[in-house]
Amino acid sequence: MDQFFEQIITGLSIGSILLLVALGLSIIYGSMGIINLAHGEFVMLGAYSAWLFQTYFGLGLLASLVLIFVVVAAIGWIIERFVLSLLNNRPLDTILATWGVGIMLQQGVRLLVGSELRYVQLPPSLSDSMDVFGLSVSSYRVFLFGVTLALFAATWLLLNRTTMGMKLRAIMQEPSVAASFGINVRSVHGITFAYGAGLAGLAGALVSPLKSVSPDMGTGYVVDAFMVVVLGGVQSLAGTVASAFILGELSGAIAFLQNDTVAKALVLLAIVVLIRFRPEGLFTTRVRA
Amino acid sequence: MSPKMSSQAGLSRLGAQIAPIVIVCAIVFALPLILNNDFLLNKVARYLVLGILTISLALSWGFGGILNLGQAMSFGIGSYAMAMALKLKTVPVHTGSGGLPDFMVWNNVARLPWFWEPFKSLGFALAAGIIVPALVATGLGWFIFRSRVTGVYVSIITLATMVVLNLVIIDQQSYTGGFNGITDLAQLEIFGMAFDAYGRATFYLVASCVTLSLLVAFAFTRSKAGLIVQAIRDHEGRVRYFGYDVAAYQIFVFALSAAISGLAGMLYTVVMEFASPTFLGVQLSLSVVVWCAVGGRQSLVGAFLGAVLVAGMQGALSESAAFLETWTLVMGALFVLVVLFLPKGLAGLAQGAWRWIVERRRPSRGVTQSVGEAREGSA
Repeated sequence: MDQFFEQIITGLSIGSILLLVALGLSIIYGSMGIINLAHGEFVMLGAYSAWLFQTYFGLGLLASLVLIFVVVAAIGWIIERFVLSLLNNRPLDTILATWGVGIMLQQGVRLLVGSELRYVQLPPSLSDSMDVFGLSVSSYRVFLFGVTLALFAATWLLLNRTTMGMKLRAIMQEPSVAASFGINVRSVHGITFAYGAGLAGLAGALVSPLKSVSPDMGTGYVVDAFMVVVLGGVQSLAGTVASAFILGELSGAIAFLQNDTVAKALVLLAIVVLIRFRPEGLFTTRVRA
Repeated sequence: MSPKMSSQAGLSRLGAQIAPIVIVCAIVFALPLILNNDFLLNKVARYLVLGILTISLALSWGFGGILNLGQAMSFGIGSYAMAMALKLKTVPVHTGSGGLPDFMVWNNVARLPWFWEPFKSLGFALAAGIIVPALVATGLGWFIFRSRVTGVYVSIITLATMVVLNLVIIDQQSYTGGFNGITDLAQLEIFGMAFDAYGRATFYLVASCVTLSLLVAFAFTRSKAGLIVQAIRDHEGRVRYFGYDVAAYQIFVFALSAAISGLAGMLYTVVMEFASPTFLGVQLSLSVVVWCAVGGRQSLVGAFLGAVLVAGMQGALSESAAFLETWTLVMGALFVLVVLFLPKGLAGLAQGAWRWIVERRRPSRGVTQSVGEAREGSA
């Protein structure tokens, strides 16, 4: 029984990291139709910012979170403004353009900082472990889980309870009508992309103490996160949450029963089959396309 | 326009389209006369093979509108088919006891697995390298296109399928050589002719396959089926309303493209002298997309040259690590610029320049020109 709970908690931990990365991707894809292959690079930039602030300014991870968000969001805004906004209505080309941007970011970091592995310290206040259902779990993982839920809540509120969110939802329904009501589509898109990038940066910063930081660390995340978004349904935030934890638990369980490779292969296969039969995702009620 | 005139215009257009293919193939065949260095020849042969792979993507992406992000899957299958056959041909010293490949002996495999058995015949392997990718593509295409999955989802499915196969190959080390791939291969020998990776024979083999692939792909794009495939790319719904079986045409171009990249994969094993899981990796698969986009996805010759030039440039700069890293950065920027401003790639640029020259020299031929422009507008 203990093992069962341990598995559940491992799954939750994998799921919360997945969700953290996928949340930004989901917003960008769901609201702008941009397949952002540079998303993993935003994660990487977040991790490097954490390392930068820690090494050169002596800021701890928790203290620099807001700064990291701002830095990565600003980079995202620039990319949207000068690259992606030129690609209106060419969704397949956004795959290519963002992939090119991703290469540039990755290579830029490699040239500037070097390709050695970097390490970010765990915040001292969170380096012990705590008791959850009679099991000892690292405090940092519990903290990650909490932050993930908080960020999800914030995103949901932004989308559904603010004017900005309302404008974005209007644009998602029909950009030209929204524009004729005086909504500045370009500026809303810019801010949305920046917000998604900022979230990815936060994800990178939060993951950085658990993994080593390297220029190509983002590549693995983007595929997984994309699968989460597809599984959850493109325009459904709640679906993204559910699918992140389902995928987390699933890969945790299969990895326990078989091994990591088999887990990954099976999850991918399941998603391929899912796209075939439910391309709108598991948790979407049909909205106006 | 009278029928006679239009057929004449059609012929001259056919000539204009086939001329670049003839010129490029002639240059490729002439290369060994200029390059008097076996090592260099082998390198160029490698880029030419990647060019064939890119032609196959141009066929499905540029002409069929199917952005296959797993194009390297068929390439990898072809490459492994060739490698398995050549591995079984190695002299017993390399194959361990009882004719088993060395890595199987290291992994304590007692006897040759059943799916290795038929590869004792080279003929079977050569056929399998083309037919298996085509069959896999047919199955996958049936799965995708019968359910009218389109656009981005096609890309995700093809990419995910390739990653799964890649993971399986790495995981099943005792049967596939795992992460290391299949190395220490025998030389390819067909009808007593040996193809040394660094020899001229191999280069001419590759050059012939380049020509063959270009001609087959070109013939397809000019055929009725090819025209329907392009119509589907431009407006799937309309073609369906005309009563065509859209999925069947999509599956066909998907399979044809896979067969060509399977051929390229087999050649790659001959030129590189090994097969590796990276041959069906995400990295290569996305690189092919880049080459295709830079060269011009709607031009077979353009896609081919895009691959040869970009991969060649990368290879030339890879001598120095600092150069290579800067080059990758420049490559990314170049790619973004091409996507933004040159959707038809370098081939589109060349076509524009050519049309400009013709226009200036022969202002009287307004008819063909306006036809050309009308096509431009509808594309």
